[in-house]
Amino acid sequence: MDVLTNLGLGFSVALAPINLLYCFFGVLLGTIIGVLPGLGPVATISILLPFTFGLQPQTALIMLAGIYYGAQYGGSTTAILVNLPGESSSVVTAIDGHQMARQGKAGLALATAALASFLAGTFATLVIALAAPSLAEVALQFGPADYFSLMVFGLVAAVILAHGSVVKAIGMILVGMLLGTIGIDVNTSVPRFTFGIPQFGDGIDFAVIAMGIFGIGETILNLERSGAVRSYVQTVKNLWPAPHELRAMLPAAWRGTLLGSALGILPGGGPVLASFSAYALEKRLSREPERFGKGAIEGVAGPEAANNGAAQSSFIPLLTLGLPANAVMALMIGALMMHGLHPGPQLMRDKPELFWGLVASMWLGNLILVVLNLPLVGIWAKLLTLPYRFLYPAILLICAIGVYSINNSALDVLVATVFGFVGYLLYRLNCEPAPLLLGFILGPLIEENLRRALVISHGSPTVFVERPISCAFLILTAVLVVILAAPMIRSGRERVFKESGT
Amino acid sequence: MKLRLTTDLLTGVLFAALGGFASVYGSRYALGSAARMGAGYFPLLISSGLLVVGAVLIVRSFLGADDDALDAIGWRQLVLVLAGVLAFGLLIDRLGLLAAGILLVVAARVADREFGPLETALLALGLTLAAAALFIYGLGLPVKLLRL
Repeated sequence: MDVLTNLGLGFSVALAPINLLYCFFGVLLGTIIGVLPGLGPVATISILLPFTFGLQPQTALIMLAGIYYGAQYGGSTTAILVNLPGESSSVVTAIDGHQMARQGKAGLALATAALASFLAGTFATLVIALAAPSLAEVALQFGPADYFSLMVFGLVAAVILAHGSVVKAIGMILVGMLLGTIGIDVNTSVPRFTFGIPQFGDGIDFAVIAMGIFGIGETILNLERSGAVRSYVQTVKNLWPAPHELRAMLPAAWRGTLLGSALGILPGGGPVLASFSAYALEKRLSREPERFGKGAIEGVAGPEAANNGAAQSSFIPLLTLGLPANAVMALMIGALMMHGLHPGPQLMRDKPELFWGLVASMWLGNLILVVLNLPLVGIWAKLLTLPYRFLYPAILLICAIGVYSINNSALDVLVATVFGFVGYLLYRLNCEPAPLLLGFILGPLIEENLRRALVISHGSPTVFVERPISCAFLILTAVLVVILAAPMIRSGRERVFKESGT
Repeated sequence: MKLRLTTDLLTGVLFAALGGFASVYGSRYALGSAARMGAGYFPLLISSGLLVVGAVLIVRSFLGADDDALDAIGWRQLVLVLAGVLAFGLLIDRLGLLAAGILLVVAARVADREFGPLETALLALGLTLAAAALFIYGLGLPVKLLRL
């Protein structure tokens, strides 16, 4: 069986001591940073990126994936213990998880989150192993026009599922795409928007933007609000669930797993959408929906399984199509590009050890997460009492050194300062910065494919509707736009996000 | 009527200004045709898009669709943190990590309304040395601790 040989190859890579070690470090560091209130996976990955610069590409990717899972789980821990979800995907976990903690069942809530995540992680890893090769096979047939339409579809989907104003999200994507044009144009060798600065010829490094916006900009914002954030942390005990609790939690975890793994594949989907949908599903299926919001174990198991399943399966479009489904995947693609790798169907064919090594380490990462978190959860809880005044200078310092070390360039630090300001400004203007990152990553790819498609068609735009794959994506995009325009559905979407905000 | 500085209005102005600037500045790049795009083709598409989005936001702000006024800006935090990072960038090549790092941490701590001088000094030294140990000796990143 092909899958088994491939997974065998994967595990031989992932179990190499160096990769295993960095996977472990990734999970550990990701959890440590992710536990801190206000730091979600995007910020955590941005801050920790510099740790991966010196590594081999495959080790770096494995470590990044570890960081991602760690950050995801760390966010849930914070949500449960102090009702401060560090990221939007653990917002729903906070609803019932924190109620459980208040009833003295913090340990049970944390164990539920860990076990549900592990179940989902295992399942989603299998989905990737089974689905990715055939999807990549299909993707190899894609021409430039198909890629163009796929990416437009991805961006539109991301806009629809973004928080807040849709118009602003579109604007942010365009700003990101405009930033992506900086540098020497590959087709004509004309330096664009470099303002005569030779270092800008290679374009701006995405890590500089990410660390500027998410590391520096967010820190300034948190600092303005600091002092307000002081919470009460429970002691954590009674980790292991009793049999009747297991019975209550397992079906919910399974439903969350299936739902999350499916939703994660969609462009613009990912953990946030998955956890919200899973919570809604559990509430609807429950015989006693009134228990939700008062510490229902299903309300933790379902969304936690869903967000982890989605976190994993959103690697599928990234690895098979080169399409980042959300901001975290945009960071991953950026990190890969820094190592000279271009994700897409060719990656699996040309570098199977990298692809399958990553898949295997996803599962190992989840295993490490459970093994690490159940015994260490007391330490994470302690970490939450660490004063922010020691923390943010460290974050700024790591960002500054990290930015400098990408190209050994002091100019990059100055550019990051500018993006720190931009990031702060955007937060204050209620503009979600994640779409900017997506636009920045996808912009150059869209331009390249648009150019190639139109060269082939001698400038005729009908090529986008004549090719069936491209046409299908454009129809899907149009459907999404119609949904977006329908006011009823839109207000429904706002309601979902508003409910979560409280 | 007094102009209210809503987030919609300001974002709209920002987008429109950026789009306008990019289309003017970008007009020096050859446009080419759809079949043979010049360097300026795609940037013009994007910057026109930004202009449109900016205009939509400005118009919408006058219709009062989204009335979030801009909150007060914490200038102290904003200026000092940015100044710290900027100083780090300006000093890292001239003086090395030790000086640049200490300055960054001190600026960051002073940005907070409350800070203890001794605690700040110790934190600056401690964090910088820890970062040096981790990045220079641990990860082997090409950063110099001292440059004289």
